[in-house]
Amino acid sequence: MLHFNVADFAVAVERVTDSSLRGRPLLIAPLRAARAVVYDMSEEAYREGVEKGMPLKQAARICRGAAVLPPRVGLYRKAMQAFFKELHSYSPLIECGEADGHFFADVTGTHRLYGPAPDIGWRLRRHARASLGINPIWTLGTNKLIAKVASRLVKPVGEYIVDPGEEAAFLAPLPVTVLPGLTCRELEKLQDFRLTTIGALAGLNRHQLMVPFGSRCDYLHDISRGIDDSMVCRPAAGDEAPLDFEHIFADDTNDRHEVEGAIAALVGRAGAGLRGRRQVARRVGVWLRYSDGGHVVRQASCRTGTSGDFLLRTLARDALQRAWIRRTRIRSCRLVCDRLQRQSPQLLLFPEQEGREIGRRKVLTAMDTLRSRFGHGVIGVGRQEVGVGGER
Amino acid sequence: MASENSGISPGRVEIHCPPAAGRPERICPVSVGTCGYSYTEWVDSGFYPPGTKSTAMLGLYGRSFSVVELNYTWYQMARAEALARMVEKAPPQLLFAAKLTRTMTHERDDNWREQLALYRQGIAPLKKRLVAVLIQLPPDFDRSVANRSYLAALLDGLQELPVAVEFRHHSWAADPVFAELERRRVTLVTVDAPALPGLFPALDVVTNPALFYGRFHGRNREGWRSGNMQKKFNYDYSDEELRAWCSSRLLPLAARAEQGVLLFNNHVRAQAPQNGKKMAVILAELSNGER
Repeated sequence: MLHFNVADFAVAVERVTDSSLRGRPLLIAPLRAARAVVYDMSEEAYREGVEKGMPLKQAARICRGAAVLPPRVGLYRKAMQAFFKELHSYSPLIECGEADGHFFADVTGTHRLYGPAPDIGWRLRRHARASLGINPIWTLGTNKLIAKVASRLVKPVGEYIVDPGEEAAFLAPLPVTVLPGLTCRELEKLQDFRLTTIGALAGLNRHQLMVPFGSRCDYLHDISRGIDDSMVCRPAAGDEAPLDFEHIFADDTNDRHEVEGAIAALVGRAGAGLRGRRQVARRVGVWLRYSDGGHVVRQASCRTGTSGDFLLRTLARDALQRAWIRRTRIRSCRLVCDRLQRQSPQLLLFPEQEGREIGRRKVLTAMDTLRSRFGHGVIGVGRQEVGVGGER
Repeated sequence: MASENSGISPGRVEIHCPPAAGRPERICPVSVGTCGYSYTEWVDSGFYPPGTKSTAMLGLYGRSFSVVELNYTWYQMARAEALARMVEKAPPQLLFAAKLTRTMTHERDDNWREQLALYRQGIAPLKKRLVAVLIQLPPDFDRSVANRSYLAALLDGLQELPVAVEFRHHSWAADPVFAELERRRVTLVTVDAPALPGLFPALDVVTNPALFYGRFHGRNREGWRSGNMQKKFNYDYSDEELRAWCSSRLLPLAARAEQGVLLFNNHVRAQAPQNGKKMAVILAELSNGER
């Protein structure tokens, strides 16, 4: 498994398009957002103390003299696609993020065509440097976990190959903080138990882990031993991709009306998107990101799927209720509609249901028409906040 | 009696060198091996038994050969702890050549001196089992003033380590180059490759009396510049070709060096270890015939 990671991807892409940005601190943040937070920052800015998600005002105070650019997500996606295309020439099994410079490529079994895996990694990096102007970290391991952990060791540039059979020896001396997927609470518990290295964690069996960590004991047991059976997930193409919208609050909030209004607005955008694609979603997920960095995600499902705002709102409300389990103020909320399928052309079985549905559809169609002419924020349903939410 | 497959040192043959002008009769031990040992396709092609995992390959390799060239140190910086674990598990007779990392040969980053210091630390666990650090230079590394200065500085940084240099640009095939390598006791790698214009020629020049170093890349003319390793190194040396090489090159090399290594780089479909074993048999026959 090869892992490629372009550190500070957005910055790297911006520097390819404008070489005058090289060698100086750079912040990328949406300048016109109600609450502008850092989307990405250069290594120079990171060393000054800037982190992703930091309010821009704070970041600008910490790193005076930094250039600030708005994010150009479309450009970053193009760069991702260009590198994806090159990776795809070596393997059909590629997993990548949205526009974050991360890729996994499963090159198992390709040795007869392309030679040893380290050679593939080196060639792809060389191509990225020569053709795209970006310099990815690349790592090679027997699974995604090992490759991912290795890439955390070689930032901002470099490579790391973990030979088969070396996984346990590789992981043992490393701090548990390099393991992916651990929550803040789990890290705190590990600290409390003085389990600061992965080797120390691997010294415990499942029963011993079950007491403090409950159902997560299996996950902790496996990752501490370098065991990871997860497969590379191919990205959904075009219309298969989930609809994903996020709203960042101008101020951290625990006002239920405000959060429900934002979710309702995101539902409006999602519904319009589904109807445009002639798709229905069978699941709605709500992510809440808290001001302390924690996050909770919950879903609600609908067996038949829907693209109507009314049912989507009901599902989103259910998911929100399940997700909102803390008193900590909320920094942002996100709505994801997935498990998509084509809209069924079939009519409903009962005429009274059909009548109600037809009425709703007419309302939504009219709203979609208005939005397409005057912008999404021109009209909303009920207590949604207009002018809320952008697509991720 | 020389044996190509001694239980103690498989793939190691003592070549009898008859007395020559100014030189007494002597024995030159020659070890045969391959460039790299961890190839999944060597399981497919039968060199390793079916189902062999990567962790078992070095031990199995050591049953056939007494020297191996570590090529993964070219892709990534040598790491002492990983090398120490490898050496601990390796068969006791196995010697190692280690390729210098590409950041100092092909990419030549600005921080190459720091890289070199890290590399020296990284290969330290090999100790007395290190046959040579192999500096394989890229095809476009010609004999310009800048490149000569760079190579000189690199060799200075590798002092006290056994070093072999493989040139791939023909401009380095010059007497002043050989003289300088001789002065530094650096081995000039004897290369066997397709006879294509622009490549460094096949020579039997010995610049280091301690060691000669031969690398067999295969003679695939069509695949050589394809950009695909599986084509470039897809070649099976015939018995006749190996015997011809031994007749023309081996004795001149063995006569002037204390020991030698011959490493096969045509890894595709396990042709390298197959040819290596053939070579060891031929060397043994040669040695027996010489007595």
